[in-house]
Amino acid sequence: MDSISYYLQTVLNGILAGCVYALFAMGLTLIYGVLNFVNFAHGELIMWGAYFLFLFMAEPFGLPLYVAILPALALTGCLGLAMDYSVFRPIRRANRLTLLIAAMGLSVLLRNAAQFFWGAEVRTYGFEVMPGTQFLGLYLTTPQFAIIGVTLLCVAAVYLLFFKSRLGKSMRALSDNLDLARISGIDTKRSILAAWVISAVLAGIGGILLALDTNLHPEMGIANLIKAFAATLIGGVGNLWGALLGGLLIGLAENIGVLFISPGYKDGIAFVIMVLILLARPYVILGERSD
Amino acid sequence: MDLLLHLSVVIAIYAIFALSLNVEVGYTGLFNFGHVAFFAIGAYTSALLTLAGIPFIWSLPAALAMAGVCGFLLSIPALKLQGDYFGIATLGFGEILRMIFNNEVWLTKGPMGLPGIPRPEFFGFAFDTLPRYLALSSGFALLTFAILAFVVLSPFGRALKAVRDDETAAEILGKNAYRFKIKSFVIGSVFAGLAGVLWAHYATFIGPGDFTLTETILVLLIVVMGGKGTFLGPVVGAVVLIFFQESVRFLRLPPEWTRLLGPLQQMIFGLLLIVLMIFRPEGIIREKGGQR
Amino acid sequence: MKKLALFVAVVAIFAFLAVPTARAAEPIKIGAAFALSGSIAVYGEGFKKCIDLAVEEINAKGGIQGRKIEIVYEDNKSNPKDCVTAVRKLITVDKVPVIFGPAGSSNFMATAPVAQENKVVLLSAQGAAVGLTKAGDYIFRVFPSDTLQGPHLAKLAIGMGYKKVPVMYVNNDWGLGLKNAFVDAYKKMGGTVTDIIAYDEKKTDYRTELLRASKGNPPAIVNLTYINEGAIQFKQAFEMGIKTQWLCGSAARAPKMVELAGKAAEGVIGTYPSVPQNTKQYQAFKEAYKKKYGDDKIPIFGDYNYDMVYVTARAIEKGGYTADGIRKALPAAAKGFKGVTGDKTFDNERSPKFAEYGIWIVKDGKIEDYKK
Repeated sequence: MDSISYYLQTVLNGILAGCVYALFAMGLTLIYGVLNFVNFAHGELIMWGAYFLFLFMAEPFGLPLYVAILPALALTGCLGLAMDYSVFRPIRRANRLTLLIAAMGLSVLLRNAAQFFWGAEVRTYGFEVMPGTQFLGLYLTTPQFAIIGVTLLCVAAVYLLFFKSRLGKSMRALSDNLDLARISGIDTKRSILAAWVISAVLAGIGGILLALDTNLHPEMGIANLIKAFAATLIGGVGNLWGALLGGLLIGLAENIGVLFISPGYKDGIAFVIMVLILLARPYVILGERSD
Repeated sequence: MDLLLHLSVVIAIYAIFALSLNVEVGYTGLFNFGHVAFFAIGAYTSALLTLAGIPFIWSLPAALAMAGVCGFLLSIPALKLQGDYFGIATLGFGEILRMIFNNEVWLTKGPMGLPGIPRPEFFGFAFDTLPRYLALSSGFALLTFAILAFVVLSPFGRALKAVRDDETAAEILGKNAYRFKIKSFVIGSVFAGLAGVLWAHYATFIGPGDFTLTETILVLLIVVMGGKGTFLGPVVGAVVLIFFQESVRFLRLPPEWTRLLGPLQQMIFGLLLIVLMIFRPEGIIREKGGQR
Repeated sequence: MKKLALFVAVVAIFAFLAVPTARAAEPIKIGAAFALSGSIAVYGEGFKKCIDLAVEEINAKGGIQGRKIEIVYEDNKSNPKDCVTAVRKLITVDKVPVIFGPAGSSNFMATAPVAQENKVVLLSAQGAAVGLTKAGDYIFRVFPSDTLQGPHLAKLAIGMGYKKVPVMYVNNDWGLGLKNAFVDAYKKMGGTVTDIIAYDEKKTDYRTELLRASKGNPPAIVNLTYINEGAIQFKQAFEMGIKTQWLCGSAARAPKMVELAGKAAEGVIGTYPSVPQNTKQYQAFKEAYKKKYGDDKIPIFGDYNYDMVYVTARAIEKGGYTADGIRKALPAAAKGFKGVTGDKTFDNERSPKFAEYGIWIVKDGKIEDYKK
C-alpha cells in the first residue's frame, strides 16, 4: 500500500466505521429522547439482529441472505418491544439508577443467552472470501458498499418518518416533554411502541452490516455500545442528526487516531473525545435532555 | 473444607469491594460504573511492588495511596458531570485503564498478566495457607466494615445522603456538594484498592481480563441486591452472590455442561438484576426512609 | 421468618458442599486442566481425545502396576483465571500429584506458580513459549521451546530472499517469546525488521494492524498468529488486496485455519517442530486413533499429548505415585524415550532437548510440507 492510498484507505475505514456507529447511535438516542433513559441493552439488539440473520440462513431454514433479512429484522423489532413490555414498562416511573441497572441486567441476560445458544467463538455467515473491488486505488468489499448505501437509505427513511409524518411529529413531542404530550392527547403508547420498533430495527440493520463486514460474536454489541453512547452524547440526547454526525466523528477519529497511537487504544479514543466534549459544554451539566 | 475456606476468602474480599462502592452509589448517589478500575489499581500496584521484592507491609499502603490518588484525580473532572454522563465517563475510565494494563507490556506484562504474586508476609509470618489468608482477609473486612460504618453514621455520612437526595437543598444548607462527592469518591476508591490488593495476593495471578465490565456489574449487583445505602446490605449481598457464583464453579459436571454453565450463571445474574429492579429495588436490606 | 429460612438453607448448602467426597484408593488419578469450553475449546477437545486413547491403551495392558489410570478433567474455560481455579481445584479437592496443563502459554504460565508452590508436577504438551518452565522444578514440557524455532523461521525468511520484513505477533507469552527469538536470529543473519506490531487475540477486526503492516508493500510479512486470528487476518488482508508472502510459526498450522480462511490462506508458509509421520510408530498411532474416533485427522498437538501420557506413566512406574517421586523420575523416564513425536529426552530446563523443524505450506486448500 503506498502512502497516499494508505491514508485514503484510513479515511475510508473511518467513514465505514462511522456509518455503523451512526446507525447504532440513532437508535439509542431515539429511546433516550422519548423515554429519557439509557438503554444499556441496545448493544444486545445489535447483536441479536446479526444472530437472527445467522439463524435464518443456517439449517433448518437455509434462506438466502436477502430473504433471511426480513424475518431477522422482524424478530429484532419484536425483541425491542418485548424488552420494553417486560422490563422497562413496569418501571417506567422509577429513578434513573434503577432503570440503568435493569437495562444492565437485561444486557447481561441477552448477551449470555446468545453465548448459551451459539457459543463464545467467532462465527461467520459463511460467505466465500472475495477480493474487494478496486475503487480509486482503494479496496471496498461488497458488505462495505452495503454499509454506505444502507446507512444513506436509513438516514433518508428516518428523515421522512420524523419530519414528514404524523407519527414522527408525535414522537418529537414526546421527546420534548412526555407528560405534556400525554395531556395533549397524543397517543403516547403508539409513539413509544414505534420508537422501540425503529430503534430495534436500526440496531438490527447495523448489527447485520457489522457482522457481514467482520463476523459475529456475542460481545459485538456491547463493544460498540460504548461508542454509540459517546456518539449520542456528543450529538446531544434525542438529536438524530447529532447522533449521525457523532457516529461519523468517532469513526474517523478512531481510524485516523491509530496512525499516531497504538492500535490497542483504539477503543479508548471514543471515550476520550466524549469526555472532552462533555467537559467543554457546560450547559449539559444539568443532566437534563438538552436539544 | 477447603472449598468453604475459599468461599469465605472471596466473600470477605467482595464484601470490602461492595462496601466501598456502596459509599459512592448508595450513600452519595454517584453512579460509578468504573469502580473496578480502583480494584485493579490496588491489585496491580501491590502485585508489581511485591514482585519487585518490596515487602507487603510497604506495598499495601502504596497500593491504597495509588488507588486514592487516582480516585481523586478522576473525580475532579468527572464530578463536573451529572447523572448518566458521570456514569458513562467513569465506565470509560474503567475501560481505558484496562486498555492501559493490556497494552503497556513493559509495565504490566499486558495480556500475559502477572503470575506468581507472593503471599503476604509480616515480619516473617507468612499468610501462605488458606486458613491464614482467611484470617487476613476477614480481619481487613471487619476493619473496613468498622471504618465505613463509622463514616456513614457520622455527620459526614448524613451529609452525603443529603447531597444524594437533594443536592440543591443541601447546598442551601451550606454543604459544598462537590467537595463531599470528591471525599466520598476517594474513600470508595481507597477501599476498592484494598479489596484489589487482597485479591491479587490470594489469586497469585492477575491479568487485565480480570477487571472488566463484568466485575463492575457483579459488584453493582451485590450492592443493589444486598441493599444500597445500608451498611449491612453489601455484606449480605456478597455472601449470597459469591456463594452462588463460586460454589457453582466447584461442582463437578461433565464438560458438555460446563460449556453452558458459565453463560447460564451470568444469565441468572442478569435476570436477578431485572427482577430486583422491578420488584424490590431497595434490595434485601431496606434503607430506612430511603428512596425507591 | 423468611430470612431465617433463607439463612438455614444457605447453611445447609454450605454444609453439604463441605463434606469431602469419598475417594477410591485404587485408580491412579492424573489431573488435566483443559479448555473444554470457551474460545480455544477446539484445542482442549483434541487433547482429550488423544489422551483418552493413550490411557485406554495403557489400561488395556494392565495399567501401571495393576492400577488403572483415570484422568480427572477440569474445564478451564479458555482464560487464565479459570485455569488457575481449575488447577487449584485439582490440587486441593482431587489431590492429584500430577497435572496435564492447559494450552496457551499464558494460561499455562498462570498456573505454573500454583503447581510449583503446592509441589505438584505440571506438564505441558504444547507450550512453546520461551521460559515456560521457569517457575520451578515441578514444571515440565514435552513440546520444544521456541528458542529453537526462532532461528529456523529466520533462516527460512533469509533463505527465501526476504531481507526486510515487518513482524506481527499475538500479544502474549507465546507471540512475544517467538517474536524475540525470531528478531534476534534474523538480525544476526543480516535481516532488517521494518516494523513490529503486537495485536490482541480474540478480536474480529484486524484491518488497522494489517493496513499498517502492509505499508510500503513488503514482499513478505512475518505473522506469528493462532488459528482463529490467523484466519481472520488472512481473509481481511485478501479482501483489502494485500499481496504478500505470509511467514508464520507453528500455531496456525491447523486444518481449521485453512477451513476458516478459505482461498485467503493459499500460499501461507510457516515453520513447525516437525514430526516424521511416515514412521511405523506414527502410523500405528494414526490407525489406533482412526479406530477409536473414525477419522485420522490428528488434532493439533494431539500427538504430543499422547506422548505426554506415556512419559508420565513411565515416571509413575519408576518413581511411584507421588509428586516428588514423579518429579525425580521424569528425566530418567523420558531419556531416550522415543514417542510418536520423537526423542523426549529433557534438557536442563525440563524442555525437550531435541527438535527438528520443518516448513509447512498451504497448497490447494491443504497443509503440506514445503519443498524448496
